[in-house]
Amino acid sequence: MKTTSIQWQAVINGTVREIEIPPSRRLLDILREDLDLTGTKISCEIGRCGACMVLIDGEPMNSCLMMAYQCEGTEITTIEGLHGETEDALHPIQEAFLEEGGFQCGYCTPGMIISTKALLDRLPQPEEQEIKEGLCGNLCRCTGYGGIMRAVESAADKCAQRSSLIPAVDS
Amino acid sequence: MLLNRESSGERWRKRRDGKEKVTGELRYLTDMTAEGMLYGRVLRSSHPHAHILSLDTSAAENYEGVVAVITHRDVPGLNRFGIAVPDQPALCEDTVRYIGDAIAAVAAITPEIAAYALSLIHVEYEVLETITDPLRALEDNAPRLHPQGNILHRTQVKHGDAGHALQNCAYVVKEVYSTPRQMHAYMETEGGLFIPEPDGRLTVYAPTQHGYKDRMQIARILDWEEERIRVISSPIGGSFGGKDELNVQPYGSLLALKSGRPVKMHNSRMESVRAGLKRHPMKIEMETGMDEYGRLQAHRVRIVADTGAYATLGAPVLNFATEHCMGPYRWEHIDIEGVSVYTNNGVSGEFRGFGGNQAIFAMEGQMDRLAEQIGMDPWEFRMLNRRYPDDPGPLQQEIWRTNGLEQVMQALAQSSLWQRREAISVLSVHDSLSDASSSPPWIKRGIGAALAMHGAGLGYGIDDPAGGRLSLNASGQIEAAFSYEEFGQGLITTLEIMLIDLFHCTGEDISIVIGDTDRVPHSGSSTASRSTTMAWMGLQRLKSPFLQAILQKAHDITGIPVDQLTTGEQGIWQITWEDDAEIRQKRVVSYREIAAAAQGNEFVFDTKFSYPTTPDEVVGGHFLYTYAAVAAEVEVNTLSGHVRLLDTYHTVAAGPVINPMGFIGQIEGGSVMALGFTLTEDAVMEEGHYITRNMDTYMIPGIQDMHTSLEVDAIEELPDNDPFGPRGIGEIGSVALAPAITAAIRQATGTWVTHLPVSRDQLIRRAGVWQQEGVSPR
Ligand code: FES
Ligand code: FES
Repeated sequence: MKTTSIQWQAVINGTVREIEIPPSRRLLDILREDLDLTGTKISCEIGRCGACMVLIDGEPMNSCLMMAYQCEGTEITTIEGLHGETEDALHPIQEAFLEEGGFQCGYCTPGMIISTKALLDRLPQPEEQEIKEGLCGNLCRCTGYGGIMRAVESAADKCAQRSSLIPAVDS
Repeated sequence: MLLNRESSGERWRKRRDGKEKVTGELRYLTDMTAEGMLYGRVLRSSHPHAHILSLDTSAAENYEGVVAVITHRDVPGLNRFGIAVPDQPALCEDTVRYIGDAIAAVAAITPEIAAYALSLIHVEYEVLETITDPLRALEDNAPRLHPQGNILHRTQVKHGDAGHALQNCAYVVKEVYSTPRQMHAYMETEGGLFIPEPDGRLTVYAPTQHGYKDRMQIARILDWEEERIRVISSPIGGSFGGKDELNVQPYGSLLALKSGRPVKMHNSRMESVRAGLKRHPMKIEMETGMDEYGRLQAHRVRIVADTGAYATLGAPVLNFATEHCMGPYRWEHIDIEGVSVYTNNGVSGEFRGFGGNQAIFAMEGQMDRLAEQIGMDPWEFRMLNRRYPDDPGPLQQEIWRTNGLEQVMQALAQSSLWQRREAISVLSVHDSLSDASSSPPWIKRGIGAALAMHGAGLGYGIDDPAGGRLSLNASGQIEAAFSYEEFGQGLITTLEIMLIDLFHCTGEDISIVIGDTDRVPHSGSSTASRSTTMAWMGLQRLKSPFLQAILQKAHDITGIPVDQLTTGEQGIWQITWEDDAEIRQKRVVSYREIAAAAQGNEFVFDTKFSYPTTPDEVVGGHFLYTYAAVAAEVEVNTLSGHVRLLDTYHTVAAGPVINPMGFIGQIEGGSVMALGFTLTEDAVMEEGHYITRNMDTYMIPGIQDMHTSLEVDAIEELPDNDPFGPRGIGEIGSVALAPAITAAIRQATGTWVTHLPVSRDQLIRRAGVWQQEGVSPR
């Protein structure tokens, strides 16, 4: 059961991380087990539910389907890397989920927020149909998606307001 | 009141547990780790029904990295679990009865080694006949799955002479309804962390809906004093009834004790599907008759529930289905029989709605068919036959009187969604809304509605304890402690709002303790839509003694008369009165100062009581009911058979809304879960094996399936002096949508649906012929 390990490196939430792991190790396990970043969740492990969603070079990806060698040297953002203007402040998307009731048990929420981030980066003012397309890879069993729709709409407004008030912040 | 953020004002409160959820900081119990932790895995049966001839674990035990292997020989206490009837082996001895049955478990230093070690365990089976059909299980020559046979439970309700009455009815509708094996599909699968403590105790971090019940069951398996076990059971990534029963706890506990090290368990989705509970598939046959004026006369019902291999709460679920298959209607003659049957199909058990979903689908289906037979508007027909507020409950038991039924019926009748249906009902039934619009001819629309009267609490004859603790803790916070769980429903925030209402303090002045058997009193389970009512009643009882004690102390410290003191932000405030209006002057002493002056447990108050039950000796009969009416508009594509939910209206009479964000969330979430039950969800089994193993083939609704609009209309009014406060709404959003959708499908396409999930094939029409097909009265 021995596998050769590689020296794997990626920029995770703005910090360079380097670890020795087998090249086929799943990114999900790197995050949750090796780096103790448990905000990224595990649920179906087949790329269907989006609980494990992270941004890889800005693109939303299911970390359960991503092996170490595939994301070597990339920039990875997990829920832990999302914040507002300061490190302790919430990102407007997080604020919107909080205000609108965009979650209940919260288990799908990190993935949902990451997908929302990717969506709004691409389409700052999405139409209803675009929101549905942007989030169709994320399942939620609790909310029935009503609160999530409201949260995404409000997040888009918040982001728009902010970017009109202040110079763009990179988060 | 239409419930939304705007109409809720200040009560729209960010969830107290929200920040840690949106930041990913929250550690779910399956995220936890411990120093020196091992990984536990369970070996499950290869066959749905077999004898175990031999079991050899030696190769696994000797494999490097394996620290402990357990089989039935390692169970010191009762090798069985089950909330109501402990008949499920923790680890099977000589027989397996379903594909999720556990035979052995392994703890190893890595998950990979644990998984590999399972493959080294050698089990020899003698394969037996697999019973997949409950009707086969009922045959005399069927293999017996349990010593007492294959029947878990029977129910019967009879009054009058239904058989005779049905022969004399002017109209009779007879139909057989069937419902799917719905899966809870909580996003967090079962798991947890099990830690043997240096003082000889065991700490169990694992989700459940009733920590004390788990503690009792684990103690029974370990043959320990319950107090040696501490169960920490919240937060939970969803449950919906599915984590009410034990799942990984027996294995985690036994492995931790055998290895002497912390053990982590976390089911993969496939294992969760294989081992976990599902909703009972039911076949419900109904024969319902009315007189020539449309008044219901007689109702004959036969329910067959597939309870799978083990009991868990299969019997109470059947009781509930039996009680709810008469709807909120008046009957002269009733003849109901139910049977819950063991098979080799998975395990069916507790699931949001608890048997009501299946029963209400069938009952409301009958109502629509009867209304159509006599040519009445379906809602008027229900109005004509509705129970009166003073009528006894469905089981002829005394129930608490409210006007909820009347109120939801009127609200639905006045809803714009339903009125839209009225407007088009001048068209004949097989013309559909879309004929008037510009959609292509194969797109058909329809609107339907359904009604539910849903019991809360466990029912008569079942121990249903409640209670709680209110104290001023050492750091000067008002602390409420209950043995309830937070699985997402918003209980923590509901408690916070209740405390703010009672004491006019802020969120920071409050501490809420739940889900930890070492720190909370036994206040019963978080099931059966009961915890909101129980917490509210508990706090009502605790409020006065608590206030008296702390105001007295504030008086001792400040010298201000007690009647000029009240609780408020950060402490006790002095008040004066002006024209009957209370004016808060200033804070005179802080909670912290009062706590510092406490002597012993001076500020700790406990209460114990029971969930209100009917005084009549009717087992399972409820006392408190909530009412809901649901309207749904669907669009059916008759080329593909695809059904899309467009618009939904839910009205719910459940007393005052404490936490509007939580209330909306429960109704919306329950509704979309019911959408899955109606259209797409079914854990398909063949020959006792799951064909559906993960979320790629088990289709829960996604955001793209969401209706464009869902209105939640809360009716808050209760009779004067109603002592029970807010009613739970965790289930009622999920019980009546299915029949509303199938009624809408009928209006859209002329097809009556009797089987869920709705089969697309049934709705596909050859172009041009749909007008003639399936639309004539039966
Ligand atoms: S866990 Fe990765 S998509 Fe479900
Ligand atoms: S909030 Fe529980 S799964 Fe989405």
